[in-house]
Amino acid sequence: MPKITVDGTEYEVPEGKMMLQALDDLGLLLTEIDIPHYCWHPKLSIDGSCRMCQVEVEGTPKLQIACNTPVRDGMVIRTNTEQVRTAQRGVMELLLINHPLDCPICDQAGECKLQDFAVRYGLEHARTRDPRRPAKKGTPLGPTIMLDQERCILCRRCVRFCREIPKTGEIGVFARGDHSLLEVFSGMELDNPYSMNVADICPVGALTTRDFRFKIRVWFLEDRETVCNQCANGCNLYASVAYNKVYRYLPRRNDGVNETWICDYGRMSYRTIRENRLDEPRLGRSTATYSAAIRRAGEGLRQARDSGGRIVGVGSAFAANEDLFVLRQLLDGLSAGPGLLVVPTGKADELLIKEEKAPNAAGARLLGFEESSGPVGPAAVALVLGHALPAEAFEGVETLILIDTHRSPLVERADVVLPARYFAEKVGTFVNHARRIQRFLPVVEPVFECEPEGQVLQRIAVAAGLDGFSGTYDPFEISKRLAEEATAFAGAELGTLDDQGQEIP
Amino acid sequence: MTPVITTPYVTNYLTEHFADDGYRTLKGYEAKGGYQAIRKALRMEPDDVAAAVKESGLRGRGGAGFSCGLKWSFMPKETDQMKVLIANADESEPGSFKDRIILERGPHVMLEGILIAAWATGSSRAYIYVRGEYAHPADCAERAIEELYRAGYLGRNCFGKKGFDVDIYVHRGAGAYICGEETGLLESLEGKKGQPRKKPPFPAQYGAFGLPSTVNNIETFAHVPFIIDRGVDWFRGIGTEKSTGTTIFGVSGHVERPGLFELPLGTPLREILGHAGGVRHGRALKGVIPGGVSMPILPASDLDVPMADEFLAERGTHLGTGGMVVMDETTCMVRVACVVSYFFRDESCGQCTQCREGTGWMNRICQRIEEGRGVPADLEVLGDLPGMLEGQTICAFADAAAWPIGGLLRHFRDDFEAHIRERKCPFPESFEL
Repeated sequence: MPKITVDGTEYEVPEGKMMLQALDDLGLLLTEIDIPHYCWHPKLSIDGSCRMCQVEVEGTPKLQIACNTPVRDGMVIRTNTEQVRTAQRGVMELLLINHPLDCPICDQAGECKLQDFAVRYGLEHARTRDPRRPAKKGTPLGPTIMLDQERCILCRRCVRFCREIPKTGEIGVFARGDHSLLEVFSGMELDNPYSMNVADICPVGALTTRDFRFKIRVWFLEDRETVCNQCANGCNLYASVAYNKVYRYLPRRNDGVNETWICDYGRMSYRTIRENRLDEPRLGRSTATYSAAIRRAGEGLRQARDSGGRIVGVGSAFAANEDLFVLRQLLDGLSAGPGLLVVPTGKADELLIKEEKAPNAAGARLLGFEESSGPVGPAAVALVLGHALPAEAFEGVETLILIDTHRSPLVERADVVLPARYFAEKVGTFVNHARRIQRFLPVVEPVFECEPEGQVLQRIAVAAGLDGFSGTYDPFEISKRLAEEATAFAGAELGTLDDQGQEIP
Repeated sequence: MTPVITTPYVTNYLTEHFADDGYRTLKGYEAKGGYQAIRKALRMEPDDVAAAVKESGLRGRGGAGFSCGLKWSFMPKETDQMKVLIANADESEPGSFKDRIILERGPHVMLEGILIAAWATGSSRAYIYVRGEYAHPADCAERAIEELYRAGYLGRNCFGKKGFDVDIYVHRGAGAYICGEETGLLESLEGKKGQPRKKPPFPAQYGAFGLPSTVNNIETFAHVPFIIDRGVDWFRGIGTEKSTGTTIFGVSGHVERPGLFELPLGTPLREILGHAGGVRHGRALKGVIPGGVSMPILPASDLDVPMADEFLAERGTHLGTGGMVVMDETTCMVRVACVVSYFFRDESCGQCTQCREGTGWMNRICQRIEEGRGVPADLEVLGDLPGMLEGQTICAFADAAAWPIGGLLRHFRDDFEAHIRERKCPFPESFEL
């Protein structure tokens, strides 16, 4: 492996890579080594046009762009010499002569690379006396994205993204020189399942999502780690949270799962945290207290067990492994046989979107849940997580106990309804399609009374008079047990998982 | 419309027969000894041909003056891929009009040079990239190629040499300056927007359609048959030690007899101006752009400079394409700056930040100063801008845009200051914008 020296420190870097890529692979870029850049993106082809990443390479008289200079053994690189600083100041000044200084009304302000680098590398005052080039303001490029042509710095990340990732190529840079403009090709719209990623990679406020723009100033937001629960891919996310509310999802880089992308469908699913939530316990058609509903559920199960009635458990591919484990324990305690599992399916693509439209089908299978789509009944009691099955499937079921996060027609059919915490409100693990176990952490608090499925099930077990249940739910403890007992989960424990997850055998 | 056909006023080996209408045809060219050099080359080893061209000191005539033989040596020796030659006749540099005359009056010299280069580099395909405006010159090249095919000289086993297969195509550009830059040309040739490519990879590794490619100006190719035919020593005897051979100087602007003059490299500027009949109306000379508008201007005091790159470089400029623009004492250098900066603003491909934004800014400042609205701070910014552009972009276009402005400010700062002081243009007799 070649050794290079950057600002006096020696690093061993991967062979045959460009300087920026090599430093990024080692996790040094923008952490230990500051090489500002606009057009370069680790997951897109190299453009080499913004010229912001120029560095001094010993033995080369001209500055070199770090994005397109291959590393050589013994290379000596300097990133903060006077020559480099002068070049960076030049690029910043030139980028700003045609960029509107409307940060106070720009939605990118606060997470804008132009703003950040202007402060760090730019001049304090503008020297231009000319009016800035007028162009289109706030025009939709398609159903998801708005373009402000004046703010575009023509780095062409979005153009390369559309050509290289979804391979739809709806946008391009038209005309030339300082007349150059980002536009959609005539007769087209920027409309593909990954379109909103362009807003993430846009370093400035030129591309914003129609969903998020002007909702909140970004400096009020805190990005909290989570994963997407809309399909079996389990894309890594940040949930941007303020005032106990998720305002948007952003992709979180995980090269083993989603690189730096997410699909639009998954991105918009932040809404499911608040929309259509099941927010009250019910007994039949009337509202009940949480404890009354739990008591009633426990009684139903005890009676069925005592009278030898059939008890059926239905797991959910949306539930965490830890919750499903409690359900399995409960079913075992009732000698009810393995729980059933229904996985919703839909269209898949070759990029990220998977056929199974739930985050933890693989985990549920590993925990012994058996796939079924047929009728559940006849049975004395059905203990059901989620609403993957229609109400008709429960014909012949005397008592339907439903523990769920969202409203569905099943609520009307159920005899006992218990609202549960959504994944965004608790801690747990999912196993994705490629058997990668990933943690999720609470990003918001629920705004009504509800508990994790595991907790609800524990309390029901106690109410049913089952032995070996304490009534308390500790996902960390369960995960530890799973890691010790179940071979599939060996070594993959919630308490020690990091933000990148871990592949399991 | 019948195209205007001109021939150089002063000729040497290259343009000797350009006035002869028959020279344009295969028959006429062969009657003057044409296509003997390729036959001679085919009796030599390709490496020896390449070595001869390298030893001859032939420098590229497209503007950069890079060693032709050295460029050929970048082509990979061991490769399964087809190798490609590109003859650059985009001739988009304002002030240059020499390639046109080669296409119109001596297409076979160029084609013979391409064939020799194909032999030397092992290339089996060549494209002649002709600027879109050169409709008639492109027709001339196509006619000459057709003649070669009909004579059996092109295609398979050219000139009877088994395994020496060469096809030559004419490709017409669409009129962008940047398509004369070699990688901008490659993109355009591939049917894409003419935008220079970042390097690496270099064209010799990844050129036209991803194939190993070498791009040379057509005049460069046209010198090659003479080097092979008459020998390296003969060629080195012409021109200067570092700039060998002749070149076709183009002289335009304020001279009595604008036109083309084939003269040895290193011919003093004063002598070339003499061939062009001197400055018009007996006026005094103010400055000369030595080789296309991208080259920094020479003041009248530099009239005795030998026109070869090594001497021009000492004076902060370059030979470029040898297309000289002569300006007399009535010329407003701020207007020159306006025209030049407008051109580069209009022609910048728009990829790199400095070039895209800087060319426009330079033009706006020049325009403002010319209109009498300039302030001293403008001059300060205009003085900084060339340094902010130069040497920092994907291709040399930013240099080409920066150098003339830097040169004008260096030699004619007084003109700029007078505009700002007097709040108007003090050169009423200058050309109109």
